[in-house]
Amino acid sequence: MNSDTTLGSVVRSEWLKFRSVRSSIWCVVVTFVLTIGLGILVTTVVRVQWHKMSQINKLTFDPVQTSLVGIVFAQFAVGVIGSLFITSEYSTGAIRSTLAAVPNRIQLVASKLIVLVSCMLVVGEVVSFGAFFIGQAIYSGVVPTASLSNGAVLRTVAFAGFYLTLLAAFSFALGLLIRHSLASISTYVGVLLILPLIIAFLPQSWQNDTIRFLPGEGLGHSMTSVQPGPNVFGPWVAFGILALYVVVLVAVSTSSFRRRDA
Amino acid sequence: MIKVEHVTKRYEGMTAVDDLDFEVLPGVVTGFLGPNGSGKSTTMRIILGLDHPTKGRATVKGKRYEELRDPLHEVGALLDAKAIHPGRSARNHLRALAASNRIPYKRVDEVLEFAGISSVAHKRVGNFSLGMSQRLGIAAALLGDPEVLLFDEPVNGLDPEGIRWIREFFRSLANEGRTVFVSSHLMSEMAVSADQIIVIGRGKFITQGSIDSLTATAKGTVFVRGANHQQLLSALRAKNATVAELNDEALSVSDLSAEAVGQIAFDAGVALYELTPQRASLEDVFMDLTADSVEYGSSGVRHEQ
Repeated sequence: MNSDTTLGSVVRSEWLKFRSVRSSIWCVVVTFVLTIGLGILVTTVVRVQWHKMSQINKLTFDPVQTSLVGIVFAQFAVGVIGSLFITSEYSTGAIRSTLAAVPNRIQLVASKLIVLVSCMLVVGEVVSFGAFFIGQAIYSGVVPTASLSNGAVLRTVAFAGFYLTLLAAFSFALGLLIRHSLASISTYVGVLLILPLIIAFLPQSWQNDTIRFLPGEGLGHSMTSVQPGPNVFGPWVAFGILALYVVVLVAVSTSSFRRRDA
Repeated sequence: MIKVEHVTKRYEGMTAVDDLDFEVLPGVVTGFLGPNGSGKSTTMRIILGLDHPTKGRATVKGKRYEELRDPLHEVGALLDAKAIHPGRSARNHLRALAASNRIPYKRVDEVLEFAGISSVAHKRVGNFSLGMSQRLGIAAALLGDPEVLLFDEPVNGLDPEGIRWIREFFRSLANEGRTVFVSSHLMSEMAVSADQIIVIGRGKFITQGSIDSLTATAKGTVFVRGANHQQLLSALRAKNATVAELNDEALSVSDLSAEAVGQIAFDAGVALYELTPQRASLEDVFMDLTADSVEYGSSGVRHEQ
């Protein structure tokens, strides 16, 4: 036999592992339900209530953001997907048979990331564009709608999918470092939800300087808004910073993964 | 085939493996024997590159595990049968392993058939009994048709029929010229399934050899019963023999031959009623060898971990 373990074969193996457990399938379904389902709910409510809304609300109304409201919830579902993809190997002990088959740990991390990022990119873009189109269809005729022919709108919808993809990779790297499902998902939720709450206690000027660096309220807001608010980064810079976070965290957790016993 | 070279593994404040140095050869079943907690599993994990040794190195066919190009084609291992994602089917578990080493899926069905679990291959592993999981682990170890096989406590959880099956299976693997390394904490199991035995205790090497050579080196005892119990006892003790009083009239002498005991009794003028050399059983040998290295003895509690 002369078959060297290659990146391609390990990717195939990890892809089979990803789709052959129910938890990942369920989390993908939940991502769909949260993003598209909540989008339908919110846009329908807006359409029904539109005639009662004040003039000022009507003028500042953002048909893109309201259709993408489900992203805020879907970010937790993709976090669970990313985390479980590695922590379930530790909780079940399967990491040992995985590493016995693929002793090159960098190759293993790379393969898992390729599978995770590809899947989440597809899922993220499908749910983002899906929620956008369905939302605009619900608005059509009553509420002003947005169109992808507007570059800023196209960017916002596409970035919503990128945002979910980066978060899944971020959560995966946390899981690789922490190795424990509950602890790693808690940390992930803490970064997205608790950190902004802590920062809310700081003086206003400090808040302005720190919030923009947070993955959720800062970078996530920038990436998923047609017109990001004041005191935050522009969408492209935010994308770059979040990607940098992911790269650094992946590098740190991979080096720890190489050093530690399985 | 497997070489463990002065391997030491220390965890915070505890030495799990202490300067272990041995070699496992092809063509025979080599038993790896030691009480629970003696470092067998740690040693196996180090051989598989899962744990990094603090000192020394372990190699398979001259290479560290990480350096093997096709690990599953070279080494098959069963460490913990239950360490599988419970949500995956047996077939998918094996297919994922096969895919990573570019083993055709046809081989997956072959090993499932061989291990006798074809009929449950589509079922989720979480519902498997320990015995079925062991069979799945064996199927996984055989996937790449490897020359070197490691099994950590493979008999646990198997029914008598399974135990017999696995013994014959080890034997046939060794007869094919493969290297078969099997750990156990049960001497009796090793006695029937292994040709060579490596004994460790508290992470330290104790001895190595065939079953026969191990029992031969162990000191047997001599059972003796004489007319004058006390006189015989003091005569033996005068010769610095280690004597245990079994009851009012029988003695057990540990470090003299039957001839020597008979001579001492004759010189002391004690008529002997019974003089029987008793060969040490395998269990005695094992208990004797590892007496100082039992992690969790039944008397005298030690806290190591």
